[in-house]
Amino acid sequence: MFVVNPQSGTPIYRQLVEQITRLIAGGQLAAGTELPSVRDLAELHTVNPMTISKAYALLEAEGLLERQRGKPMRVAARRRNQAPLTQRLQQLEPAVRDVVLAARQLEVGKKELVALLGDEWEKNDG
Amino acid sequence: MAEPLVVARNVTKVFGATAALTDVSAEVFPGDIIGVLGKNGAGKTTLLETLLGFSPPSRGNVVVFGEDALQMSASAKSRIGFLPQLDEMFAMLNGKQHLAIVAAFHSGWDRALVDRLVAEWGVPLTRRVDSLSVGERQKLAVLCALGHHPDLLVLDEPVASLDPIARRQFLQQLFTIAENDKRAVLFSSHIVSDLERAANKVWIVKDGRLHWQGELDALKESVVRLHIHARAPLPADLAVPNALATRVTGNSATATVVQWEPAAADTLAKQLDSTVNVEALGLEDIFLELHR
Repeated sequence: MFVVNPQSGTPIYRQLVEQITRLIAGGQLAAGTELPSVRDLAELHTVNPMTISKAYALLEAEGLLERQRGKPMRVAARRRNQAPLTQRLQQLEPAVRDVVLAARQLEVGKKELVALLGDEWEKNDG
Repeated sequence: MAEPLVVARNVTKVFGATAALTDVSAEVFPGDIIGVLGKNGAGKTTLLETLLGFSPPSRGNVVVFGEDALQMSASAKSRIGFLPQLDEMFAMLNGKQHLAIVAAFHSGWDRALVDRLVAEWGVPLTRRVDSLSVGERQKLAVLCALGHHPDLLVLDEPVASLDPIARRQFLQQLFTIAENDKRAVLFSSHIVSDLERAANKVWIVKDGRLHWQGELDALKESVVRLHIHARAPLPADLAVPNALATRVTGNSATATVVQWEPAAADTLAKQLDSTVNVEALGLEDIFLELHR
């Protein structure tokens, strides 16, 4: 369900937070969907259960997940566009910076890059 | 916060003219799985053994379960499980006889747990210890250390000879142990990927000092490699704040920095009129960088 790479420089809890945030934003994880239990996920990936709990707790604090009594965490009801656009753009900046840098290194022009982004946007539209 | 199970204060250990440990202060809390990492001869084994009171520190002191480590009561000792780097098993006995002897020393021996792990891990019980493969012998030694549900489990290189499947099974067992909120595990290993899976905290031992200690996540977030690309040539003596090492080649530079704050990337980019890419480092890279 999630990609967990313990050897990455990105701590495991952050890998999970980023993926789950993206999956919720992209609609793949709909409101009400139950997440795997801490124990199941820890066992599946052989990682310390504490790191999973940490990710879930952060997502809960952000309002993306909600705790249910005696049951696994579930995706909270959607609060659409809760953050102002400027803030959401800010979150996007690092990814954009990486893409632009990669394009420059590959000597891909601005026009071609923008066209490629446009194509990708169309592909995911719908 | 819960009381620490182990407290070491300013521990120095001198053998003859050489200091094996210098001014080590550390704590082990319930729930911790601490990975101890260090080069050969860095002092990991001396550290683990001194924490358990096997030999007196030259200076400083260690408290285990609230008692002086050098004068622990029998009941405190029974709450410890220890696997030395070279196991101390009797070559002539078989696994079954060996487990029976160890069990006899512990009132809280969990026969059912050990039987289950013997089956899961595939530990041969009917062959003499000296006929076991190194890995089989290591599994047996681990069982001897954890069968009595120790509150403090200390393992010196427990998995070096285990195959990947056995190592995963071993790590799962550590999670089960640390899940109990009274217990902690301290283990040294050169298999960095295992530490990254299992440890919530890391101790990096370097030249007898605890060079770094803290949460693994914090370590990964605080040590990064910067890739700097400027429009103009960078000075050969480029000073990057908190850099362990900097390498400048023309317009580009690579620097490994500690105490990294994400906001520093923009500041640096503006200062140097450059792009700054931040590469997060895995524990193995961090370990290497800290040993430059």
